Amino acid sequence: MSAAIARPALLRRALPALRNSNNSLLPVLPSRSFSSTLLRTSPPNTSSPTPDYATPDPSRPTHFGFETVTEAEKRERVAGVFTSVAESYDRMNDLMSFGWHRIWKDHFVSSLNPGFFPLTSSPDPRTAPQHILDIAGGTGDIAFRMLHTAHVINQNPNVSVTISDINPAMLSVGKQRAQSQLPASQQAVLNFVEANAENLTSTKPLGASPDAPTQKIPDESVDLYTVAFGIRNFSNIPAALREAHRVLKPGGIFACLEFSKADKYPLFNEIYKRWSFGAIPLIGQLVAGDRDSYQYLVESIERFPSQEEFRDMIVDAGFVVGGKGYEDLTGGVAAIHKGMKPRRV
Amino acid sequence: MRPILSRTAAAVAAAARPASARLPLTTTAAAAASCRYLSSLSVPAPAAAPRRPQQQQLLLLLLQQQLRRPGTTTSRRTYHSTDHPPPPGPFSETEAAILAAAYKQVPQHGFSADSLAIGARESGYLDISANLLPEGAFSLIRWHLVQQREALAGRKAALLQQQQQQQQQQQQTNQTTSTSVSAMVEALTWERLLGNAQVISRWQEALAIMAQPTYVPASVEELAKLADEIWFLAGDVAVDPSWYTKRASLSATYVAAELFMTNDHSSGFRDTREFLRRRLGEASEVGNVTQSIREWVGFTASAGLNVLRSKGVRI
Ligand SMILES: C[S@@+](CC[C@H](N)C(=O)[O-])C[C@H]1O[C@@H](n2cnc3c(N)ncnc32)[C@H](O)[C@@H]1O
Repeated sequence: MSAAIARPALLRRALPALRNSNNSLLPVLPSRSFSSTLLRTSPPNTSSPTPDYATPDPSRPTHFGFETVTEAEKRERVAGVFTSVAESYDRMNDLMSFGWHRIWKDHFVSSLNPGFFPLTSSPDPRTAPQHILDIAGGTGDIAFRMLHTAHVINQNPNVSVTISDINPAMLSVGKQRAQSQLPASQQAVLNFVEANAENLTSTKPLGASPDAPTQKIPDESVDLYTVAFGIRNFSNIPAALREAHRVLKPGGIFACLEFSKADKYPLFNEIYKRWSFGAIPLIGQLVAGDRDSYQYLVESIERFPSQEEFRDMIVDAGFVVGGKGYEDLTGGVAAIHKGMKPRRV
Repeated sequence: MRPILSRTAAAVAAAARPASARLPLTTTAAAAASCRYLSSLSVPAPAAAPRRPQQQQLLLLLLQQQLRRPGTTTSRRTYHSTDHPPPPGPFSETEAAILAAAYKQVPQHGFSADSLAIGARESGYLDISANLLPEGAFSLIRWHLVQQREALAGRKAALLQQQQQQQQQQQQTNQTTSTSVSAMVEALTWERLLGNAQVISRWQEALAIMAQPTYVPASVEELAKLADEIWFLAGDVAVDPSWYTKRASLSATYVAAELFMTNDHSSGFRDTREFLRRRLGEASEVGNVTQSIREWVGFTASAGLNVLRSKGVRI
């Protein structure tokens, strides 16, 4: 589905008029829109107490596609979407993106270059293990690539990956794929964890009994936090960014691959938008028998903040960014954002 | 061994690392290209230049766009006047810390992902932290270019003094002297070239990275800024039709001398000094400018190709 969603993104930026008309069709509470007003006025930093908007609140209104719902309700409905598409997820992805999402994912992972260490230096870097946390990792596309780059390409076996997702159905598909595709050495350093990205203090290993005690992902325990095509589904993005900041070590990297805005190419954008809104839910209906879920996916992309707005949110959560803070892929249909957690001063 | 990464700079840097045995290959290829380039310099007629059409046209255009901004010279004064300039150019404090540490590794590890990772470590970060730098190894090259350019302002006073002493001596011996502006241009250009001395063994690699399509615009922009800075510091305030020509011709001379220097084994780069003097004399003709830039582009492009080929990319 990720790819599916890719298209709509294009259309959106070019057409302020169209956008506005979308908005006017839907009752959207201004206080929850991710547009600049909210973000600009927020205190620009990290050590300051967590602002209200970054504290999960089940009763606060948020978006579900173009609808406005409460945060708790969104969480449930997103869970519903992914439970219903889990099985067909990978097939849909390919079908609808013509394979693009694979190229983006390859680029995302190789540019992060996990497990890379300088050849000549002491102490031997292999003694310092690298821990990667793949949030909203779904069926494992990113995590598997991370392992390959680290273990095979960079020949650094000292890299482990935790795949976490709020949805056990997605994780189970991922686990099956891992068992059939990965060498034992890689399976050995791969963990599956059920977690809501907005609150990483209470997580559960996949398959643990419902009353098993929850576990906290410790502060400053992660080298690299990745989230691919996941963050736009979160009910409270600032809360998720703060959790990312908490679990990362100083110097740790936050990296996000997400559908974005291709407004720089208005014509392309418009064609793409029409196509995605028209065709993707239909394809979803035909391939997965689930029109509504795919309709949601298209709309959630439309709702996601622009590259610059999202970059500012990352900075607000306490990260530093390099250059302009993001890289456009395929003209902005998708974008990669990276931030580093600075050292304590 | 590490295969080629999709991100280009990282690719060159990362791929170059495992067997340093592979580097000579690169360097030889680059050196061969530069020999071709140098020999073409001695051919007087521009007609002898190989035709490498569109890409070069494009680059010339880019350079022109960068240069055609006489108005900017005055507004730039602001940063000359500050005693403690902020970290150079486009870099944040954190980026600057990592880059400064990484830069010390360049003579040994090149403009590469290794240098960046070591730099990250040495400034108290993790290997993965180098991801903060959006352009990988090119960030390190840009760091070098910006730092060297900005250092020129601080050298101006000393150079000016030298210049005046020399002029006095020459007057005593009744030699004709060049005007002080063009003498300063030469002195500043030479000073800038010496800024490459520390990393000269890595400079052909750097040129190859700069020639990758993604980085060409930024590289050309830096070149234009350098030429502008030198004329500015030399005291050239004229805003007239020669504004563009002067900067373009200095850019061309500079890149030619820079290339020459990568193959210069004479002591104190004596030969490069001589080359620079000669070329500055000739370079005022526009024909030469276009020609030199074309040669430079031709060189960097083929050096880039050779590097990629030596890494097993089929082009
Ligand atoms: C489009 S899939 C992306 C899967 C995978 N990263 C990929 O690129 O193929 C989005 C995933 O986000 C998960 N998700 C949605 N909301 C979440 C939340 N609040 N916390 C953690 N995961 C969430 C969904 O369960 C789903 O698996």
